[in-house]
Amino acid sequence: MSLVDFSSDAFIVAFFLYCFAFMFYVIAIAGKKWSNRDPLQHEKRWGRVAFITSSLGLASHLTFFFTRWAGSGQIPTSNMYEFMTFLGMAIMIAFTIVYSIYRKPLLGMFSLPLTVIIVAYASVFPQEVQPLIPALNNYWLKVHVTTAALGEAFFAVGFAAGLMYLLRVVDFKGKTKEAKRSQFWVEFSLYSIILIVGFIVAVFAFRGMGYEAQFVQEKSVIDAKGTETTTSETVDYSLPPIVKPYNSDIVKYEPFLGMEQPIFEAPYWMNGANSGRKLNTVLWSIIAGSLLYGLLRLAFRKPLGAVIHPVMEGVDPDDLDEISYRSIAIGFPIFTLGALIFAMIWANIAWGRFWGWDPKEVWALITWLYYSAYLHFRLSRGWQGRPSAWLAVIGFVVVLFTLVGVNLVIAGLHSYSGV
Amino acid sequence: MLVVENTKCECGHQNSVGTVLCESCGKPLENNELSDLPLEMRYDGVARRSQKSNPNLIDKIWNFFSSVKIAIYLIVFTFLTAMLGTIYPQENTFVNNFDPSVYYEETYGLPGKLYYLFGLSHTYETWWFIGLLVMIGTSLVICSLDRVLPLYRALSKQQIRKHLQFIHRQKTVYKHTIDGDAEQWTEKFGAQLKRKGYRIHREGSALLAEKNRFSRWGPYINHIGLILFLLAILARSIPDWQMDSYITIPDGDTVQIADTNYFVKNEKFTVEYYKDEELPAKLKGTARAKLFETKAVLYECVSSCNDQTQKPVLKEVKRHNIIVNEPLKYKGLKLYQFDFDTTPRLNAVHPILVNKETGEKYGPFDLPMKDSALHHKLGPYTLDLYANYMEFAIGDNGEPTTLSRDPVAPAFIFTVKGPGLDPKGEPYMYFPMQKDKVKFSQDAINHGIADKIEIRVDGMENVDFSEASTYLNVRMDKALPYVWIGAVFSMIGLLMGSYWQHRRIWLRIDDGQLSLGAHTNKNWYGMRSEVAGALQKIGITVDPKLLDNGGNNA
Repeated sequence: MSLVDFSSDAFIVAFFLYCFAFMFYVIAIAGKKWSNRDPLQHEKRWGRVAFITSSLGLASHLTFFFTRWAGSGQIPTSNMYEFMTFLGMAIMIAFTIVYSIYRKPLLGMFSLPLTVIIVAYASVFPQEVQPLIPALNNYWLKVHVTTAALGEAFFAVGFAAGLMYLLRVVDFKGKTKEAKRSQFWVEFSLYSIILIVGFIVAVFAFRGMGYEAQFVQEKSVIDAKGTETTTSETVDYSLPPIVKPYNSDIVKYEPFLGMEQPIFEAPYWMNGANSGRKLNTVLWSIIAGSLLYGLLRLAFRKPLGAVIHPVMEGVDPDDLDEISYRSIAIGFPIFTLGALIFAMIWANIAWGRFWGWDPKEVWALITWLYYSAYLHFRLSRGWQGRPSAWLAVIGFVVVLFTLVGVNLVIAGLHSYSGV
Repeated sequence: MLVVENTKCECGHQNSVGTVLCESCGKPLENNELSDLPLEMRYDGVARRSQKSNPNLIDKIWNFFSSVKIAIYLIVFTFLTAMLGTIYPQENTFVNNFDPSVYYEETYGLPGKLYYLFGLSHTYETWWFIGLLVMIGTSLVICSLDRVLPLYRALSKQQIRKHLQFIHRQKTVYKHTIDGDAEQWTEKFGAQLKRKGYRIHREGSALLAEKNRFSRWGPYINHIGLILFLLAILARSIPDWQMDSYITIPDGDTVQIADTNYFVKNEKFTVEYYKDEELPAKLKGTARAKLFETKAVLYECVSSCNDQTQKPVLKEVKRHNIIVNEPLKYKGLKLYQFDFDTTPRLNAVHPILVNKETGEKYGPFDLPMKDSALHHKLGPYTLDLYANYMEFAIGDNGEPTTLSRDPVAPAFIFTVKGPGLDPKGEPYMYFPMQKDKVKFSQDAINHGIADKIEIRVDGMENVDFSEASTYLNVRMDKALPYVWIGAVFSMIGLLMGSYWQHRRIWLRIDDGQLSLGAHTNKNWYGMRSEVAGALQKIGITVDPKLLDNGGNNA
């Protein structure tokens, strides 16, 4: 068995350990109300079990990381699969650090599912080791990517604590306009998370069925000399095509649920065959996510926020507020170092300029400006608590867009590490 | 009219206007003395410069930029506008000559046209974006100066015995009844705090314990770094401080770097690809470059540099094999490997002239594609260059023309004089490449003369071509060292401010009644457990959470 194969096994072990750790954290928190037990004792015991399990998961994850590094000869942060698994690992590291300061099992109940989702999301992407192109082969790249991801991981923990704060303090029975609005947006945040789960579920379900479709898009370009060159781009769908690429022809198509052909075509401004595929993926995520959300609503018969809210009773919201702020404050210097300073050093070495307003660079700067605005807001009266919890939640959306969205939507220098 | 505010504290200290807490004893100076809410401890309650009464114009500008609220607005505006610039590719991402006024509309339709018209196609060079950066810089300078000086004064002359209201209205408060000697208790408690790294100042039964004051300077050091960084970036617009251009050099050629005195020679360009077995299944059969390298020589021109009529005199200054990440560096000038082109390019041929009737051969002579000699003498024949095309084509009007300046399909027209030819000379068309000779039917164009003479190349050794061209990126950035210095300052400041917290504990014992207040600029959780821990050590058990006096976590 090669090292790379071994590392894949370690990865699967880590994934399951994370899932179990999540369950144990839930037991530690939700089980406090079970009869015939002392709530404090229960939380302490199960909290320890959960923390040991999640630490074993992290150990296994680290094993995956280093054996894959040894096996492939290059640091596994070079494609989307490797980067997302690394981000998941970084979140666990950040969680472990924050947990060791505050010792609140509740934090695990929210950080673990975040890790599980990100790790599962990583598995959607091709997992084979790809050789690096020369521009990426540098020491500073490794330092830049890993440090930036660690900083982002602290923002992720800040996000988890912020969301917990909201679930704790929002009045889910309130009928005022203010309460209704908070309820809606908390529910919307949860729904967005479920959409990502829906995406993962859809991809794995159709991959399991072995679904395939293929389109070809012909594009003619007239260059400066007046010569017309036609290029054709083929694109493989692994999800049944609801939407086909703009101006494309079917190469291969399997009917799905009586759908004999794609329902519509991507609009003209969605250039390139791949944007059609991406739009199709987004549609499927919405369908699968909404189905999942609908099922959960049917099962609980009330909004998900209201389902989670009672679990949070007895938690001190001030602690959550402080944990959220603290994680972000810890992560900010790391992020600055990794995503801006190391990135500039590397860019200077690789491209001879430390800053080029490349979309990925700009978005890293946006993230940094966003969080510096957050830190300054904390200095002002009236911005602690609820508003800053919202800022922490939105901030993580900005982080995710920088990491994934830019690669999906905007092309740039970093796009070769793309999907 | 001006209302004269009484800013003298009951302890006798004269405070300046805008002071929240007496600079000496810490007594709150607000009017509602009955309030028991936690105090606003920012900048230790000292007056900032911006809180001057009766401001003039400069004060008003100062006040505007000294506001944190304005600073936040500036940050938010900056990142919102930065977002706009990522919607479509920016103009500078296009290396080749392209026309932005057409490109955006053609590619993206109406939104693209508007994008271009609003200047968003070069967002980061617009006056308003640079203006925002300058305003952030101004705000950084003024915000910092406005606060750091008063804060420094306040922290360097702290009174140990604070007003009771000051202690009771801290965010972390503990009250207790002490039995026994007050001074002894204070000493014992002070010893515990000392073990946790506090510096202890005592005055009878009053105590001030302080640690990590340096972390208060973190944000200001960070801001100094950011100011340096911004200045360095603005300095790049000084002429000659920054250069960023691209050059293409075929194998063996020497090319001048525009606007400089430097010439670069590409002695040999090599590219190595990943072998099939190194590639995963999906990428097999594709050419994925593993390593590309330019053997480059940098020359400096020493004389007749700008004289078009003379050949410049070059002096070798540096020799380096350029690969990605390993540029050629010379006095701040850097040549980076950017890309390459493996289309072979014809540089020169060494053809011979054959008299078809006698079979006599003359030559070979040297015929470079570019800048060929105008006159060649071969035995009894003379060749005068009449015209020379790089990429020969017949234009719309039927006249010969050239499509580009690269020798893709070179062609020469000579006026040939010699035995058996018209004494005034006869035109002869010569295509060095076999494919063009056939494509444009050289013999048919030349008709009559084609039976008498022929210009041809004998063997590949007489063909000189470049296998590849290398694309180099020429860069120069004199602001760079300042950028790094700024980044280092900024980082040190951030670390100081984020990972250490300035903590202070005040206590006084009045008639056996202990009043303890504690303040930190971050991490109240840690502050409370530290106080609770020290109390625990001298026999008082208290839940850290109970020390919380409410109020906000700043």
